[in-house]
Amino acid sequence: MSSFNDTPGAAPVSLPQWLRLQAQWHGPDVALRHKHLGIWQVQTWAQVADEVGRLAAGLQAHGFAAGATLAILSRPRPQALLAALAAQWLGGVASLFDPLQPGAEQRPLLAALQPEFVLAEGLEEVQRLHMAQLAPKVLIYLDRRGLSASEAFVEALDYAALLACHPVDEPGLQGPAQHTAFVFYREVGQAIEEQRLSHAELLREGQRLVEREALGRQEEALAARAFASAGQARYLLAPWLIAGFRLNFPENLATRDRDRRELGPTLVAGTRETYTRLHGYALERLPLPGSWARRLVDWALATPSGLFQRHLGHWLVRRSLRDVLGFSKTRSPLLVGDALAPETQAFFEVLGVNVRHWSDSAHWEVPVQPVNTITDDWTGRQSQLA
Amino acid sequence: MIQTAATHLLELNNISLSFKGVKAITDISFRVAEGEICALIGPNGAGKSSLLNVISGVYQAQEGHIRFDRHQRRRQRAHDAAVQGIARTFQNIALFKGMSVLDNVLTGRNLKRRSSWIEQALGIGRARAEDDRQREAAERVIEFLHLQPWRDVPVGKLPYGLQKRVELARALAAEPRLLLLDEPMAGMNAEEKQQMSRFIVDINRELGTTVVLIEHDIGVVMGISNHVVVLDYGRKIGDGSPEAVRQDPEVISAYLGTRH
Repeated sequence: MSSFNDTPGAAPVSLPQWLRLQAQWHGPDVALRHKHLGIWQVQTWAQVADEVGRLAAGLQAHGFAAGATLAILSRPRPQALLAALAAQWLGGVASLFDPLQPGAEQRPLLAALQPEFVLAEGLEEVQRLHMAQLAPKVLIYLDRRGLSASEAFVEALDYAALLACHPVDEPGLQGPAQHTAFVFYREVGQAIEEQRLSHAELLREGQRLVEREALGRQEEALAARAFASAGQARYLLAPWLIAGFRLNFPENLATRDRDRRELGPTLVAGTRETYTRLHGYALERLPLPGSWARRLVDWALATPSGLFQRHLGHWLVRRSLRDVLGFSKTRSPLLVGDALAPETQAFFEVLGVNVRHWSDSAHWEVPVQPVNTITDDWTGRQSQLA
Repeated sequence: MIQTAATHLLELNNISLSFKGVKAITDISFRVAEGEICALIGPNGAGKSSLLNVISGVYQAQEGHIRFDRHQRRRQRAHDAAVQGIARTFQNIALFKGMSVLDNVLTGRNLKRRSSWIEQALGIGRARAEDDRQREAAERVIEFLHLQPWRDVPVGKLPYGLQKRVELARALAAEPRLLLLDEPMAGMNAEEKQQMSRFIVDINRELGTTVVLIEHDIGVVMGISNHVVVLDYGRKIGDGSPEAVRQDPEVISAYLGTRH
């Protein structure tokens, strides 16, 4: 397990600095895996750092600088994560928007924020920007499919083309650790609220989790929600960079449960929705009530009273159920945000999955200044979300 | 085989087909430009599927000839059509129901294999490297048509709309230049139709594949086609852009109906 104390020289104070450190220490080790074309494609720490450096150079060449904000609208993809790190590499901020949020709710927010630098996953996301009447200065896309007919496509940049740049060697060191790494926005009534997460806060929380859960390099984590929520950034991204484990991205959202089953992650950072969905998934597959098979399952899932029931129930039912749900190797099942319903909590407990609750200490506030006049607190530059 | 200069990818000249003396298609000629989506429309029994079967070599026309690319043929077998780059789907789903989605799509790669059956059976020589290439090609099609969640599911367990998509995937796996789709949206609900329309347009735009499709939903036809050919009782009664066909009095009278 890595910690600040292991770091030779100055301790990293930002997420990209941790990335650079992991690349130096463990360059050939696997950092990311993404299922693509049915195969888990791997990227080492050295490759991740190189890609982030190239992407940072590409962003820089198009005017992105310290204090700027990159708005990211993407499903879970490694490129979305690397783009966020590239923005932070330059001393900028990543602002994540969940593409699964209903368009009607998100469009007014985007329209009010008018981000100048945007990374959109593909056609659906570009259409969403268009409907919000956004005209970003720089628009980057990940998937060009269907975009050729779009007007915005003419000046949009291909993520892959940005990687042709010579990498920026050093992560931005200009800002203090209190510099914002991520900013999240939401609309409450007519007002916009924001949640800012500094590098220092993320690293502090990440370090706490790494120590409490004794996370090491051997962990396998699944990033099923990307980092569209503060909890994911806090309890998955920061620990990944600090502990140096493998972060896995599912093929897509529709395959995430199957990919989890295939992968058997040791670390799961899920929300109440994640565990509730999996609970429902298990219940749907149980034998019909009244059948002998169902009676066996019910017996095995009853709170085990004796040694015999505990062992036989484990081998006959509970082990298989854990496997089906992708929890066969999970030793750190974390719950981020709202608490589980009692029946869901009980179900996982019976399976031997002791879900630990990490509160999402989200602090939402109305920006001190109106959103369209926000300036960054450390560079004095006009926010690119202005 | 006669070599001619190709200005269109597909050209049908005076095609006639009859079954035991009953005329199914009578003297039909039209051309399909490379890169377009051409819709064949008409009432039931108009001869649309028969015409598709003639193009794909399932039926042999008694009169007329077909020119595909630069090759003009009076008669051609289905296998020859496939080798030339013509792939198709069927009105009634024709998949291997007990096989997985991936395996069904892989069958579409059959003509792309270069290793002998002995090499394939024993897994030696070119077969192993080729397996990887074919698998990757099949996976690209699965990704293109968003079939990843059902990759390993037996096709027979999938709902009808998804089976239609798997059939499209198998045809696409052959990397065709001309894709023939026989009622690809039959039996689908509005949402499924919209999704399938999107896939067909993407195949056409992103892969450059020329598409000839039979479809009864006029809204879909007018929305995605560049070119519409209208058949009635085995004869061509309209041929042009969707706008032109929509206003053609003969088409309105024979197919869309007239107000009395």
